[in-house]
Amino acid sequence: MTSAAVPPAPVGDPPRRRGRPIGEWTLAGLLLLPNLVLLVVFTYRPLIDNVRLSFTSWNISAPVAHYIGTANYVRWWHDPNSHQVLINTVVFTVATVGVSMVLGLALAMLLDQKLRGRNIVRSVLFAPFVISGAAVGIAFQFVFDPNFGLIRDLAQRVGVTVPDFYQQPHWALFMVTVTYIWKNLGYTFVIYLAALQGRRADLDEAAEIDGASPWRRFTKVLLPQLRPTTYFLSITVLLNSVQVFDIINVMTRGGPQGYGTATMVYQVYKETFVNSQAGYGATIATIMFVFLLVVTLVQVRLMDRGRQT
Amino acid sequence: MTDMTRRGLLTAAGGIAVAGGLAACAGTGGSTSTNSGSSGGGGGGNSSQIEFWSNHPAMSKATEQKLIAGFEKKNPSLKVKLVDAGKNYEEVGQKFNAALGGGNQPDVVVVSDVTWFNFALNKRLADVAALLAANGLSSSDYVDSLYADYNFQGSEHYALPYSRSTPLFYYNKDVWKKAGLPDRGPKDWDEFTSWCPALQKALGSGKAPIILDDGSDYLDWTFQCIAWSYGGGYSDKWTPTFSEAGTVKAGQVLQGWAKKKYLKTSADSQSDFSAGLGAVLLESTGDISGIQKDGKFGLGVAFVPAPNGIKTCPTGGAGLAIPQGISDARKKNAIKFIEFMTNAQSTITFSQATGYMPVRKSALDDSAEKAYLAKNPEYALAVTQLPKTRPQAYARVFVPGGGARIGQALDKIVAGSDVTSTFKELDASTTAAYNTQVKPLLKA
Repeated sequence: MTSAAVPPAPVGDPPRRRGRPIGEWTLAGLLLLPNLVLLVVFTYRPLIDNVRLSFTSWNISAPVAHYIGTANYVRWWHDPNSHQVLINTVVFTVATVGVSMVLGLALAMLLDQKLRGRNIVRSVLFAPFVISGAAVGIAFQFVFDPNFGLIRDLAQRVGVTVPDFYQQPHWALFMVTVTYIWKNLGYTFVIYLAALQGRRADLDEAAEIDGASPWRRFTKVLLPQLRPTTYFLSITVLLNSVQVFDIINVMTRGGPQGYGTATMVYQVYKETFVNSQAGYGATIATIMFVFLLVVTLVQVRLMDRGRQT
Repeated sequence: MTDMTRRGLLTAAGGIAVAGGLAACAGTGGSTSTNSGSSGGGGGGNSSQIEFWSNHPAMSKATEQKLIAGFEKKNPSLKVKLVDAGKNYEEVGQKFNAALGGGNQPDVVVVSDVTWFNFALNKRLADVAALLAANGLSSSDYVDSLYADYNFQGSEHYALPYSRSTPLFYYNKDVWKKAGLPDRGPKDWDEFTSWCPALQKALGSGKAPIILDDGSDYLDWTFQCIAWSYGGGYSDKWTPTFSEAGTVKAGQVLQGWAKKKYLKTSADSQSDFSAGLGAVLLESTGDISGIQKDGKFGLGVAFVPAPNGIKTCPTGGAGLAIPQGISDARKKNAIKFIEFMTNAQSTITFSQATGYMPVRKSALDDSAEKAYLAKNPEYALAVTQLPKTRPQAYARVFVPGGGARIGQALDKIVAGSDVTSTFKELDASTTAAYNTQVKPLLKA
């Protein structure tokens, strides 16, 4: 009796199915199309146009723009105003991101406790975030006014002289930074509060039973749990801070002394609309885009690494 | 083939994106259109409605509405839409720039001494001299120097004078009296400097003998008087003269006031002066009515100080212009409207409401206006200054960004930067801006 030929046993994993049916891709494409069209028309096309204009000497009132190669980039590199603006941008961004995240976390931890009236305080803290930047800027002009301002009045009562916040560039930058932090603190506070309310309380209790000090529980138990939130906030707060315009425009118009409080976004506006040099403004916008892209990519990479560890 | 891999899809999407990018970049060689309208298109709008973009100089909205009502009554087939186009001349200019890109242009727009030239240079404004002539209207009654301000070469004029001003020397008579000073303006700035200690004592601490706009406002305009009074200036035609002796001397005087706390610069100098924070304000004639209303002290008005009796000051303010990009029918309506808004009766109404100068010769000869000026000598001063005015420096009004550039340098000088080196840098940056943005566009 001859045995029937037995097919050889399969070796290794079965062959993987390559790709999905084209019908699924078509459906996905159709569903994504409306958003993609909007993104292309209102985001990517202007972005590409901006890069194109950055290589021209376009006067904003002119119907044509002349190609000048990389001259605008060379000019930006050597322009002393650009150096000051870059420093302003870095100082403003680091200060606003750092201070608002630290204060936001501290307030969130405080108001995560069972305190009387905490809901009212939470609302009060979040309220400035939904007020327009222009309105906040106008209100804070009365706070920092060198003649009639609240700060001057309070300082005078205790015999302290206050500087003229509007005439000295470093004090002016301090003024707009404080104003921005006050307005946006509610955002970091609310996000951190939500993260705190979703954390694992049992880990903290276990650490407490094991005799860990409050500081050790904060650094070794709480902060690691908040790491995704911290990364998320660092990216969103940074992107918002770098793009601030309204408060600076209302309070100082980028001054004193021309560029005393101007950040890169304000410089884009000033070169484009005040000095009429839209080509040069586009150059600064492109540089800012690249700068933000690199910083964001680094943050995302760090976030990924944090998840893996 | 019925399946597509993820990699295949991404490759296809990437290809489309790159192709789209390349298509968007097409045309960058040489010169490229910015899609900001042509010179002869319709520019939106219609020929039965005149859209008038204004910042309502010196809070003149009610006056403008009153004048517009008069125009509509006289021209029942035309309606005028008054648009709030910004809170100052610069904002109106920015809105107009946006309209040039978007294609929905106004029929009539307020253009300032600083903003009109860039539009004209880039062929965005119609020649109003030609439009007046083509529509049987005359320019001969406009005050010659004010009409000439909107011409830079050839016979073209790009605006007609509307809210025109000069700087005035405003002083607080109460402080003057307390300081024991004669009730008049100083003969020159050196005399004013010698009065500063007495003024400072009369004012008390925390206040300043003189308040000027800061560099983000109109310090570049008012400082021009001081520079001229010391024999300096911003430029000789297109050649900057900031680092010449007279201008440097004026800069040193400005810095000296700041160092001794005689000077306070402000983004809202009119309000600060009205609130009694200073004894002197150098500001536009257009601010008279506001200061009279807000100030709780006796207001003195004098000619800007000048040495050796050589009195001169710049004109300022704004005119009315017509976009080149609108239809001929709309231009015809627009020139008719501007002619009405600036005719003798309208300019009398406007100047009495605001403090701006009448822009018509016949208005200055009008008996009712003469009686009004005799009764209100502070308003008359602007008119008496008119024959002594000088055209503004090209470096401020014709070089794009000139006012902001000069203001920034003056702010630095007030803060203590070396005057000579700051002005040398200003010479260089002004020349660079002229060479790249103006020179290539000027006719040979």
